Amino acid sequence: MNARSIAVDDDLPEQPKVLLVDDDEVNLLLTSIALRERGFAITEAGSGEQAIAILADWLPDVVVLDALMPGLDGFETCRELRVLPGFESLPVLMLTGLDDDASITRAYEAGATDFFVKSTQWSLLAGRLRYLLRASRTRAELERSKSRLARAQDLARMGSFDWRRGQGGLVFSVEGLRVFGLGPNDVLAFRPLLRMLTEDDRGGLVQVLHEVMKHSTVLATDIPATLRDGRARIVHVEAEPEFNEHGNLVGYSGIVQDVTDRRMAEDKIRHLANFDVLTGLPNRRQLIWRAERALEHGRRLNHQVALLLIDLDRFKIINDTLGHGAGDELLMEVARRLRSCVRHSDQVTESSIESLGSRSHRSLEAVGRLGGDEFVALLPEVADERDAERVASRILDLMREPIFVGGQECFVTASVGIALFPRDGVSVADLMRNSDVAMYSVKSAGRNSASLYRPTLAGMGREKLELESALHKAIERDELVLHYQPKVDVRGAKMVGAEALMRWRRNGVLVPPGDFIPMAEETGLIVPLSEWAIREAARQARIWQDNFGFADSIAVNLPNRLFERTDLVEYIHNAVTTYGVPHHAIELEITETGLMKDLQNVIPALHRLNEIGVEISIDDFGTGYSSLAYLTTLPISELKIDRSFVRDLGMTPQSSAVVTAIIALARSLGLRVIAEGVENLRQMEVLHRLGCGVMQGFLFSRPQPPEDIEAWLQQTVLPRKAPWIGKAGTADSEVAEVLRFADGQSPRIKPAG
Amino acid sequence: MLSKHLRSPEPTASNDAAGAAPAGAEPVLDPVALARLGELDPTGANHLLERVLRAFQTSVNRLRPQLDVARGSDDRAGIRLVAHTLKSSSASIGALHLSQLCAQIETAIRVDAPADLAGPLREFDPALDGVLRAIETLIKDRP
Repeated sequence: MNARSIAVDDDLPEQPKVLLVDDDEVNLLLTSIALRERGFAITEAGSGEQAIAILADWLPDVVVLDALMPGLDGFETCRELRVLPGFESLPVLMLTGLDDDASITRAYEAGATDFFVKSTQWSLLAGRLRYLLRASRTRAELERSKSRLARAQDLARMGSFDWRRGQGGLVFSVEGLRVFGLGPNDVLAFRPLLRMLTEDDRGGLVQVLHEVMKHSTVLATDIPATLRDGRARIVHVEAEPEFNEHGNLVGYSGIVQDVTDRRMAEDKIRHLANFDVLTGLPNRRQLIWRAERALEHGRRLNHQVALLLIDLDRFKIINDTLGHGAGDELLMEVARRLRSCVRHSDQVTESSIESLGSRSHRSLEAVGRLGGDEFVALLPEVADERDAERVASRILDLMREPIFVGGQECFVTASVGIALFPRDGVSVADLMRNSDVAMYSVKSAGRNSASLYRPTLAGMGREKLELESALHKAIERDELVLHYQPKVDVRGAKMVGAEALMRWRRNGVLVPPGDFIPMAEETGLIVPLSEWAIREAARQARIWQDNFGFADSIAVNLPNRLFERTDLVEYIHNAVTTYGVPHHAIELEITETGLMKDLQNVIPALHRLNEIGVEISIDDFGTGYSSLAYLTTLPISELKIDRSFVRDLGMTPQSSAVVTAIIALARSLGLRVIAEGVENLRQMEVLHRLGCGVMQGFLFSRPQPPEDIEAWLQQTVLPRKAPWIGKAGTADSEVAEVLRFADGQSPRIKPAG
Repeated sequence: MLSKHLRSPEPTASNDAAGAAPAGAEPVLDPVALARLGELDPTGANHLLERVLRAFQTSVNRLRPQLDVARGSDDRAGIRLVAHTLKSSSASIGALHLSQLCAQIETAIRVDAPADLAGPLREFDPALDGVLRAIETLIKDRP
């Protein structure tokens, strides 16, 4: 034995730290020299007391203790260090005499890891120490991995178990017991485990176990257990068979895991994917799935299927006036009512469809929500269209009952479009589209009704239909915008109001008003569009008021049918109140033609509007046939000279004659007068001379987005940079000529370019 | 690896130790044991042998009075502890006879506390003295 035999362990520390405790100087010296020689770092202690003192603030890798020492001997020292925190598993080697069996026993009793008979065979001692260190390291790693496993199992709510055939049943790990809500000292045998299951589940589990054992296969099943504290959990069990050397099954070992949360999450995900969160009704995806199944059945069993598209009328208004919370409440109530109109089934799964046999498709019957205020009723089997119409009229009937939302009574109606398979379409997409067409035909015809799809409806023209459908959604999708054209007092060079003009931003392109306003008029959509415009104008008035002290009016164009609405005054009142602007912030423009056509019905509204401070302007004045008699009594504030007269100013003598007459009329009735369509300085100057000082037109500004109006004010009007500023009232020769022409004295003059 | 080559394979200390003993008689300090000590310090650079022998002297200086006190009061445990300690340290330096005497005393007390120790104790003093003398000679003779 010599230095050559030094074994270097890769997995041990470079220099294992050894505390060497011996009262014998000779032995202490020799042993420490021998061990140092063999790569150990030695700290010496001449007594047990000294050793304990050293260990107070130092942790060696191993302790070598002489058993017999005066004072604190090796056994006592070992006992004392074992109770020090952190020293529970420190390897301790006890040095004893060769012939001293009693010491060996005492050494183990005192907590020594091993003993070593004193000898001068230093290599043996070194080898023993290395073995001890390696064993202790392995043990520490085992402890660590065991505690890691326990922690991991704990986190995963998982535990393990063993079952040995014919050896007293199940043995669960502490973690396994915890899964079943039991403490570390509890025992869970097979029977008490079965008692945690319902009778049905119990039978099922026993059957599964028999099958698995019979074929010695892997066990994997979920068991719904009610724990002793009453908690209901779902426990996943997975186990593998174990065999002896003869290939016979001797038992199973595996894991149990609480998968309740996961199951609930999975169920929740499945539910979220298929059901509408707000109403709990099947969503679009689920409806399409059901409709497809229903068509399959219809095809196979040769019967008809009906799809009813239900769209609430004017839901947007309710949402806007009462708020989204109320809107949601209303949708929930509508959903509840719609459910009662059909044999609604919440839960339908692939398997239940298969298992219920030929009548199983009836469980597909449902009401679902496509989104927004659009619902669908799916009738998986109807004898004819009358069946579907009966359901539709039941729906309309149920809607007639007032709905209380947001503390007030609401009346909601719906428009229902019906499409039948196979007559109106053989795919879900076709049926959806055609029920949509039918539904829009109801909307056009005045809402609150149901209509079957007819091919003639499609004859309306696909494009127009699409446009109409898109326009119907335009408000909801925030596609509408208002542009503003300033009304300018040319002498004071200031803005005295603005006219709001509607634009539709569809797929990023501005649709010209001419392309959708007539259709909106035709379909009745003009009503919600105008209502939206009133609110939007009120909102803008507030923004301008905040931004630059705007205190004038924004004029909104209203169709005469809106004036017939009894709630118009209230609507405007709500709009201005919402945004905290005065009533006169909104001015209404009605065309002369529209006004006169329906005068009797419109007059009361005009009076009420006037009373609350909303002024009325007569648009396109001069183009219609005003009853001058009425004009004197109407509560109106402004006449707007039609652009055609302005355009022709200086071109035809009639135009300036008409303009002069309108101005005179306005003046005598005490009304303001404003000219629109002013495009050049000449027109401006003439109008001004004739006594019209307020104008609007391209000369001043095109209709622009509200923020551009602010920029225009900042950059053009305030710095007085525009060519028209300062021109009014400065007669030059050209203007004088125009004026002479206007008076009918001059020959013709070229129109201004 | 380098250190292995630098170490001489067979130490020669045993010869020196044997020479320290009176010629003809059995040496007081066992040459084999001394050689094993020499293995721990092959080049002698650490003066290991000298340090061990001095440690033994120090140890004896401490233990002998303890033993005398224990003997005076017939404190068997005290006698045993000194015998135990000297047993292994004397074995370490090759004082085999002394080590055996100590073992005899220790065992006698362990096995039978009131055992008659007169014989071994009588032999003990001359044996220890002989070892101390041999140590002196050995230290003096060393370079």
